[in-house]
Amino acid sequence: MGSVMLVVRLVLADVRRHKVQAAMLLLAVTAATATLALGLSLRGVSDALYEQTRAATAGPDVVALSPASGPAVTPALTSLANEPEVIAHHGPYRIVYADLTTRDSTSSSVVVQGFAETPGAVNRPLVTSGRWVRSGGTVLERGFATALGVGVGDHVTIAGRSYPVVGIAVTAATSIYPWAAQIGPYGGGSDYSGLAWMTRADTRTLASSQDLPVTMALDLKLRDPAATEAFRDAHRDSTIWINFHSWQFTAEQDMVILKDSRPILVVGSWLLSFLAVTGVAALAAGRAVEQTRRAGLLKAVGAAPGLIAAVLLTEYLALALAGDALGLVIARLAVPAIASPTASRIGDAAGVTAATVAAATVLAVAVAVLSTLRPTLRASRTATVTALTTTAHQPRHRPWLTALSALLPTPFLLGLRLTARRPGRAVLQACSTATTVIAIVALLTLYAQQERGYGLDGSSTLPNLRGEHDRRLMLAVTILLIALAVVNTITLTWTTAMEARANMAIARTLGATPGQITAGLSTAQLLPALAGAVIGVPLGIGLLSLFAARNAAEPPSSWLLGAALATLLATAALTALPARLAARRSVAQTLSAETA
Amino acid sequence: MQDAVLAMLAKEPSHGYHLHARLRRSLGPLGESMNRGQIYVTLARLERAGLVVCERADGLPERPERKVYALTPAGQQRVAAWLAEVGWPKPDLAEFHLKLAAAAAARLADPVELVAAQRRELLRRLREAQRAALAEPVGSGAGLLLEGVVLRLQADLRWLDACERAWSKVDDEVEGG
Amino acid sequence: MNVSSAAVRACGLVKTHGQGQSRVRAVDEVDLEVPQGQMLAVMGPSGCGKSTLLHLLGGLERPTDGEVWVAGRRIDPLSERALARMRRRSVGFIFQAFHLVEELSAAENVELPALLAGRSRRQARRRASLLLERVGLADRARHLPSQLSGGQRQRVAIARALANDPLVVLADEPTGNLDTTATLDVLRIFEELRAAGQTLVIVTHDERVAATADRLISMRDGMFVDDTRLAGTGTGWLGDLIGLEG
Repeated sequence: MGSVMLVVRLVLADVRRHKVQAAMLLLAVTAATATLALGLSLRGVSDALYEQTRAATAGPDVVALSPASGPAVTPALTSLANEPEVIAHHGPYRIVYADLTTRDSTSSSVVVQGFAETPGAVNRPLVTSGRWVRSGGTVLERGFATALGVGVGDHVTIAGRSYPVVGIAVTAATSIYPWAAQIGPYGGGSDYSGLAWMTRADTRTLASSQDLPVTMALDLKLRDPAATEAFRDAHRDSTIWINFHSWQFTAEQDMVILKDSRPILVVGSWLLSFLAVTGVAALAAGRAVEQTRRAGLLKAVGAAPGLIAAVLLTEYLALALAGDALGLVIARLAVPAIASPTASRIGDAAGVTAATVAAATVLAVAVAVLSTLRPTLRASRTATVTALTTTAHQPRHRPWLTALSALLPTPFLLGLRLTARRPGRAVLQACSTATTVIAIVALLTLYAQQERGYGLDGSSTLPNLRGEHDRRLMLAVTILLIALAVVNTITLTWTTAMEARANMAIARTLGATPGQITAGLSTAQLLPALAGAVIGVPLGIGLLSLFAARNAAEPPSSWLLGAALATLLATAALTALPARLAARRSVAQTLSAETA
Repeated sequence: MQDAVLAMLAKEPSHGYHLHARLRRSLGPLGESMNRGQIYVTLARLERAGLVVCERADGLPERPERKVYALTPAGQQRVAAWLAEVGWPKPDLAEFHLKLAAAAAARLADPVELVAAQRRELLRRLREAQRAALAEPVGSGAGLLLEGVVLRLQADLRWLDACERAWSKVDDEVEGG
Repeated sequence: MNVSSAAVRACGLVKTHGQGQSRVRAVDEVDLEVPQGQMLAVMGPSGCGKSTLLHLLGGLERPTDGEVWVAGRRIDPLSERALARMRRRSVGFIFQAFHLVEELSAAENVELPALLAGRSRRQARRRASLLLERVGLADRARHLPSQLSGGQRQRVAIARALANDPLVVLADEPTGNLDTTATLDVLRIFEELRAAGQTLVIVTHDERVAATADRLISMRDGMFVDDTRLAGTGTGWLGDLIGLEG
């Protein structure tokens, strides 16, 4: 019990003394776990929203669609309604393929479904604003209306005729916008389409006046909602061409819009965790001497190496778990917006699942353990007396580095000889840069994709929501990654500058100018960053090729080169600031402080 | 110094010039001013006191001086007593101390000035000893002796620092009062 | 005033530290002229301002008031950059704590100033091995400072201070961290430098170090209280020390 108290007290003291480090670990873990939890929750939330919409709208278990024309179609569909497995039905009803234009000339493909003015037992679209169809008026599906920017009271032109929008509704019978068409005209492929409802009479008039293609549909409720597959198999040999869309298929179709969101979030969370580890490791490296001395102190008063490791690990674990909790809360709050980029579904997102919580927690613990591994091992391994008397991590001589530096101009030489003696830190900087570049490459690739807009004939007056969504997510992840990388770079430069302080002051007494010192410190950071950027570009392309579609466009090389250069320039600027501050310190003061 | 000459004979009987050379070697620069005559005077005194005997040895005709000196039993006893003795030269600081006190009391001179002058003198001496010490090869016996001289002067200089501090304070108090 | 013969000169030099009540005059109206080839020692209790004086002379700190001249050029109004260049050419520093670059071998430490001064790698290397030989460490050239004793480290630092053949070497308590043997090694090197006509300013509280100098200045509370010439006073006093009659 006593040792637990001691551990807690030491942890609290340490956190209080190193607020910045604690905050950074907390925020980094929060970002990583939130992203991961979001990525893992997408499917569950999408399914849950579909389920709730289905419940609210008496969604059909099976929609039978027949693109054929002729007198045999309606009886064939009607006969399905009389099957013993079917307990309720709606229809048959017309689906008319038309185009729709708003007042501001945005046009889109649309399917118009002819419904009764009083909804039946199955497929009762839920009116979210306005009222249900009446003669001469149309109701728009909510996802479609939102994309169009149209509300109740506006007028839209469908197949050349103007209709007032009398209501907005949602349904579970079709997939979310823009996949409402289910099947195309004459059974062919469908364009991105929105969904509108009219009265049966208006639909009939619409179809006949313009000779528009029509598909007949029938919504069915089965005795066993799970037995959709069996029902379809049983009625495959119908003489009439009928397509069956099960509710499971429709729900699955909802996920299409999120197809790329999941890898963006999950892989993004890995990259974020990686940066979190490097960032915390960079901070820990700056504190290595102090930590080692503290460990020595604890050992000297009789603490076992296990206790020392426990203190370090407890501190990092506690912070990581706090970050984990925070991340999960953020994910829970953000998930409805991210899992449902269209307005086609209603309902509340379910809570984060246990599996997601477990995955996020594993990630947080991994970050904590990986970040502490090195300092913990070093602190508990170092002999007590060495730890107490140690003033700095004993440097090693690297003659090859000196030989290499001899070929470079003076500032580079200084940078390499005086600061880049810590390969671990160079690796951290390289990793940090590579991660940033990977994210930027991914972002550029997404922006390089040619996407069909959701407007008529692929017009981008209606943006491709899926692409927009992916870009927005990727941008958010990239911004988080860049923010962490910026913090990492500043931390690394500052740590390096502080450690090289004495050496830099010595160099000043030997006649090095402040400019040379600044350039030297920047160089020490920039060289690994260069390596990171060079590795990052192919890594980013490689990583994307695992997820991207086969026909995905690659961003132009000039973009990639520009991104790598911009990253390096930003690194140079970021490193120059702390380096400049460090170089401006008084030489005399620095040297006397080192002696004291 | 008589004791030292006696002790040097304890190893083996020796010629006067040989003794002189050995002394010079041990003392290094400190022995420079010592001439051979002084050795013979000392040896004659010791002989008179019955501590050494002088034997005439057969020698080469071209070296007329054939006296070899050896310890008598009394001389050997004296050497043994000398080695056992733990006496040490007294640091003679009292005189300077009194000089400062007298100068201050009678207002004859400023004690701080006296200290400064003394300091300059000791520093010059230190410089000389230090130079001589540095000129000696590392590990030589004479170097070791010079090191002792240097350390003593250093101690004296530090004492002068203490004197200066003390007398400066007295001055301040006088001025203040 | 014969400026050209003075390696270092200071007029009315003042340096204050701190603000308001806690304002301390570390160096208080000091005039100093160090002719070329002179070995000057500055002594005084700790906190008397002697280290500050040294920093001012080497351009590591800027005076609050007064002028500093090095090699006939006024340095106190120079920019940091120009000061750095001045140090490269004209000043070599030696510190109590050695201040070697721990990651570099002895030879690399000695090469550093030459490289900063823009000499070729080969020139720098040749100069370094020459200097290390001069301080008796030719066989330690590839050792890291941590593998050297205190005295050896200080000898490396001396070699480094001499790398660019500076007009003046400024030494701050060069033997403060050394034992007697190592102190003698360092003093022996100083003695050789003095004989070779090197201008040296040594700040110390060790009388032995001070006694090797040609001239000794005593400092108290930022001011010079004594300025003594020690050179050319061979009194034969050592010979008088031993008398057989005594």
